[in-house]
Amino acid sequence: MKTRVQPLVNLTVNPCKMCMPMGAMTAFYGIKNCVSILHGSQGCSTYIRRHMATHYNEPIDIASSSLTEHGTVYGGEENLKKGLTNLIDLYHPQVVGVATTCLAETIGEDINRIIQTYYEENPDKKEVTIIPVHSAGYGGTQFEGYFAALTSIVSEVEMDTKSHNKINIISSYMSPADMRTLKDICEAFELEIILLPDLSENLDGVFKEKYSRLPESGTDIGDIKQMAGARATIEISNMDFEASPGKVLKEKYGVPYTRVNVPVGLRDNDALLQLLCKIGGKEIPQVLKQQRGRYLDAMIDSHKYNAEGRAVVFGEPDFIISMIRICEENGVMPMITATGSVFPHLADYVKNSIDDIAERYFIEDYMIADDVDFKDIETAAKHYGCNLMIGNSDGRRIEEQLQIALVRRSFPVHDRVGGQRLKTIGYEGSLTLLDEISNVILSRKETTFREVIYKAYYHQEEKLETMQMDNSSYKADNASCNIDNTNITEITEPNQEIEIPMTIEDIRRQEILAKTATHPCYNCAGHKYATMHLPVAPRCNVQCNYCVRKFDCPNESRPGVTTKVLTPEEAFEKYKVVKEKVPNLTVVGIAGPGDALANFDETKKTMELIKEYDPDVTFCLSTNGLLLPTYASEIISLGVSHITVTINAVDPKIAGKIYKHINFMGTKYEGESAGAILLSNQLSGLRILVAHGVVCKVNIVSLKGINDTHIPKIVETMKEIGCYITNIMPMIPVEGSVFENMPSLTNKEIEKLRKDCGLIMKQMTHCRQCRADAIGTLDNDLSLEFRGYQPQATETTDAMYRFAVASRNGMHIDQHFGHVKEWYIYEYKNDSVSYIEKRKVDQYCEGSDVCDDKEDKITAIIETIADCNAVIAMRIGESPRKQLEKKDIAVVVTYDRIEEAVLKAVHSLIVDESKEISHSNLNVNE
Amino acid sequence: MVLHGNELRDKVLEKYSAKVYRNRKQHVLSIDPEASNEITANVRTIPGIITQRGCCYAGCKGVVLGPMSDNAIIVHGPIGCSFYTWGTRRHKQVETDRHGEHADCYVEYCFSTDMQEPNIVFGGEKKLKKAIEECMAIYKPKMLSICSTCPVGLIGDDIHAIAKWAREEYPGLMCIAFSCEGYKGVTQSAGHHIASNQIIRFIVGTGDHKPQKKFSVNILGEYNIGGDGWEIERILNRCGIEVVSAMTGTSCYRDMKNAHLADLNLVQCHRSINYVADMMKDKYGMDWIKVNFIGVNATKKSIRAIGAYFNDPELSARIEEVIADEENTIADEMEYYKSKLKGKTAAIYVGGSRSHHYQLLLQDLGMSTVLAGYEFAHRDDYEGRRVIPDIKVDADSKNIENLKIEADENLYNPDRITPEHRAELEANEDIDLNDYQGMYPDMEEGSIIADDLNHFETEEFLKALKPDVFFSGIKDKFVVQKAGMLSRQIHSYDYQGPYTCFQGAARFGHDLVMGLYVPAWSFIKAPWKNQATLVGKLGGEV
Repeated sequence: MKTRVQPLVNLTVNPCKMCMPMGAMTAFYGIKNCVSILHGSQGCSTYIRRHMATHYNEPIDIASSSLTEHGTVYGGEENLKKGLTNLIDLYHPQVVGVATTCLAETIGEDINRIIQTYYEENPDKKEVTIIPVHSAGYGGTQFEGYFAALTSIVSEVEMDTKSHNKINIISSYMSPADMRTLKDICEAFELEIILLPDLSENLDGVFKEKYSRLPESGTDIGDIKQMAGARATIEISNMDFEASPGKVLKEKYGVPYTRVNVPVGLRDNDALLQLLCKIGGKEIPQVLKQQRGRYLDAMIDSHKYNAEGRAVVFGEPDFIISMIRICEENGVMPMITATGSVFPHLADYVKNSIDDIAERYFIEDYMIADDVDFKDIETAAKHYGCNLMIGNSDGRRIEEQLQIALVRRSFPVHDRVGGQRLKTIGYEGSLTLLDEISNVILSRKETTFREVIYKAYYHQEEKLETMQMDNSSYKADNASCNIDNTNITEITEPNQEIEIPMTIEDIRRQEILAKTATHPCYNCAGHKYATMHLPVAPRCNVQCNYCVRKFDCPNESRPGVTTKVLTPEEAFEKYKVVKEKVPNLTVVGIAGPGDALANFDETKKTMELIKEYDPDVTFCLSTNGLLLPTYASEIISLGVSHITVTINAVDPKIAGKIYKHINFMGTKYEGESAGAILLSNQLSGLRILVAHGVVCKVNIVSLKGINDTHIPKIVETMKEIGCYITNIMPMIPVEGSVFENMPSLTNKEIEKLRKDCGLIMKQMTHCRQCRADAIGTLDNDLSLEFRGYQPQATETTDAMYRFAVASRNGMHIDQHFGHVKEWYIYEYKNDSVSYIEKRKVDQYCEGSDVCDDKEDKITAIIETIADCNAVIAMRIGESPRKQLEKKDIAVVVTYDRIEEAVLKAVHSLIVDESKEISHSNLNVNE
Repeated sequence: MVLHGNELRDKVLEKYSAKVYRNRKQHVLSIDPEASNEITANVRTIPGIITQRGCCYAGCKGVVLGPMSDNAIIVHGPIGCSFYTWGTRRHKQVETDRHGEHADCYVEYCFSTDMQEPNIVFGGEKKLKKAIEECMAIYKPKMLSICSTCPVGLIGDDIHAIAKWAREEYPGLMCIAFSCEGYKGVTQSAGHHIASNQIIRFIVGTGDHKPQKKFSVNILGEYNIGGDGWEIERILNRCGIEVVSAMTGTSCYRDMKNAHLADLNLVQCHRSINYVADMMKDKYGMDWIKVNFIGVNATKKSIRAIGAYFNDPELSARIEEVIADEENTIADEMEYYKSKLKGKTAAIYVGGSRSHHYQLLLQDLGMSTVLAGYEFAHRDDYEGRRVIPDIKVDADSKNIENLKIEADENLYNPDRITPEHRAELEANEDIDLNDYQGMYPDMEEGSIIADDLNHFETEEFLKALKPDVFFSGIKDKFVVQKAGMLSRQIHSYDYQGPYTCFQGAARFGHDLVMGLYVPAWSFIKAPWKNQATLVGKLGGEV
């Protein structure tokens, strides 16, 4: 079990909580003829009104003392007093709630004293009960603010201790509909109660002909004054507070006090009813027995579905505890129990319940955590494979992202109507909630079970095969290099149909043929010659659905990705350096990371600079072809001999599915029209180039279900035009792209396509799908050094490396260096990654405040892994990083699966070493 | 007896104490063509009156910085303020800049330092620094903003020094600090100014990507609520005008860097962004014109003004083509909506310039505006910029930094158009070159203007004026609905829209008709009630 996640210690990403004044304002809304004022900047009241109004769909009136800079310097007393006067004169309330905010608490406003002097200065306002609450925004969450207000109410209001027969009921934060249920239950027992607070009407009003500015319902101040004389206090809350309103009433006035859980689920409803029986001396009313029976029936109706529930439960601790208990009763497994509050005791309240279900389902790993944000919850929800969320509407982003249905409860519900009417308590509320939970599970099942079962049982063999193929695809690619590079005459064949004037063009063609023979992108013999891709073209005018271009992702190795975009001048400098060390560098390509032609100025400049320096170099360009007709003549005159155009369809309809949009001549086109424009430009551009003897290669990205059956047609068209070769490539799924979840064609399927198309025209089979800055990976800093790129070496190295891995779950690198309690030690040897052992360390970092003072413990941590070559962690502080470097232990920061991270780390270690050994041993191919 | 104009005002305000009455009387008036109609605006809110105004932080973080897609904003302060500005304005955003490049999008995120009591007592700088490190490690944004909330200004955390540290620590990162504590100024308006200052100081002028087309503009003060900005851009592109950047809807840091390379600034929301227009005029000599894309006639006037500025016959011809085509597309629809809406009345109370803009769209639909007001406007938004020299600068305004702008050595060019052409434009009444006439000229005699309208006055005025629809925000929406009156949120559009330009106008007409004629209104009177006791007209009753 995890009891705490702290990947981010100081940065909260998407908070799972609000502030104290919000709760205080909600509590005061349950008092009759009460209006509140927040002592602080007016933004606080405006924001809180906005959030409450959106949830409750009711007008919310909260005043502000509207402190300005002046007030922060000279104190806010004047503003608060003026505010009180205006508020009272205009609204004529019986009760005024005064709550502080961050601002008032930081400047140290003593509101109790201010209210005292206000009464003294305004004897005519004595009739109004003014109640102060200290609710600094940084003091706690809305739940704490809510109870702070209730405690202030019973402490500050002058009480009448005369005893009477009523019972105080102090209610936790619940919806107006739930408060009505609570009142109904008490009425069924014929109990006279004082409910504090009573939100039932004020925050869920009826349509009325006349809007009343003051809350007409709610707890009467006269009743509040009688609370000291009540027979008993029942405090409905899942948590036991030190200074709760009920305890104050007990200590100050001797009112007997009982706390019961919020009545959600069977047990807690039963407990409340038994307590009411005891206090009221009456049988359980028939109507409630009926409700219990119906709820029990519902539990049995849905029990078989609920067992499949793997829930994320989030929100304020009080709410969570109820949800865990109802999950427990119904066999829904809460995989993640998370609150944004700082509440280290959460596990004490929920762990037994969760263990009970977990044991039934043989689940060992689940999470209970406080002080988390939605970023943490999202990461965990993915990890634990949850299929249901219960909480407020702030979970909607995860719902959208991970497609996990959210059962909306608690506060706030901003993206649906009816937050004020949500039912959770009582047998009936529990029933509504349970049905919703079960229906989420059923709905998911209904929409997915065919596919899931088919895949799991019927289709399994094929799936396994696919996986194996995928893993070995690169090796297979490398091995099959079957273009006949000696037969140069064959190259002329595709061009035969084109009329080419003899003379200069003819000579040019001869030159090109010679160049083709040494070009690795066109020819296997190219392995002997080095090529270099210069990333000078950042922008792209076509958005392919399989592509997400990022500049700063050194971990991905596919076209369109580069670590750093160079200016033409920088590119030239880099060329010179590489050429000096790699004399066999014959080809310079411009392949992105965007589109060479969408950045034609840079592309052109780069080529001009290099050409001047080295007239023999072969230039090649890679483009989507959108601007090919525009620049064709310039490309030819620049001496570009080879061009690669990516064409994924020769049918605008199909193209429309592949391209999200194109930007052409300043206008954005989408769908088929984008496809049509792109296609016609590609084809006419290719025709011009072919006519001038440029060797054209066409890359085709195979997209399962979109163009895979269409590819032969593309190849035919390319042959017609006179292209030299086509290159059918598998799609590499990229996270974040439209096609991110589209399966790639298997290696087998690709090979079959290549074979079939090979009957039409020459196919390339040795493509390595290079990055845009391939010569190997260029160093990504401003230094002109470069590093050798040796993919083969990675796979065959004899070296042994040991890694210390920071992981919580044993699968992913998901832990901060400083939070490691246990290291996972991995070894890399003979091409394989293996797990060795776990090593315990003393955790030294428990948060920002204490972390800094315990630097010496870093040393201890490092001692435990002194024999490792590198540390792999999700994050690491600057100081430990330095210490590790001193010890010659490399640091790799990543979020990845452990095995993959280790492989990548090995790769980077080898690269570093080889850099030291030799720069000349470049073995580069596309 | 039905009261009008100032009589009505006096009736509503008489419930106040003498002191408050005197104060509010200067904020509320009825348009009198004979009088000067001077209004008091942008002064402190009366404490305890339930104002609809927000704070400086709301203006800076929520309004101006919020929509920028690649801007990771860390709110430095306790959690409440961070939470309350999380996605609340529902800006539409895409993850690309104007050159089709991927630009990160953080609009859906809420980053906060979640300060706790110890941070207030011992200072929060260390936590902020670490939060930035964490943000850089995970998200690697190109731009990072630090926005402070109330306590930060009081405990003295130096966020500007931290921003400087971050810029040095992370080359390529534009880290900017915004001291927008809630208590500064008197409304959101202070926040707009603070944000604008930093935009000019750090962002505009740092890019070098020149516009591709012959005519290029920036759209200032357009926040792409409901997709408004996209529709405006579609129309401008159709006309052959390139949009270099929008501030700040449909925009990102990477576009805004190049803003100074455009030919002309268009100012949509005058209140929130006129600072940027002014400063760019001083620094680069760029002209700006006040435009309004809300309303068919207003849009026509605006794009024709752009055409007039560029003074190019080909462009003007294309503009006329686009106008004819777009108008033709919506003609039938508009006719129908007009038939349903003609003669109906409206009251509008929003933050800044929208209270003016929407009056013109309502006019297109045959409706009139009986009351209009701004939450945080200054006098010039009501009366026009000619009153600016007369506005008294009070202590609250003095506390907001006023940048001293000097002409850029290389880029300052005040002669983008010939002096003769300039004189011509200045003489043209339909073109507001470097000027804004305010709301008054578009309002009818006797209609009520109310600055900083509060909850109490809203109710009283609506009771007396009985408009068919009240355009405002979520905070007053439910009061209005409960009175049986249609409410439309003009801050968030109730998640509908876009309402800009031609097709937006038709969509607005549709949404308004839909709201007014929904069957629900006709069931308000219960069948067992013999007598109607409902005060006010029902939406759908003709």
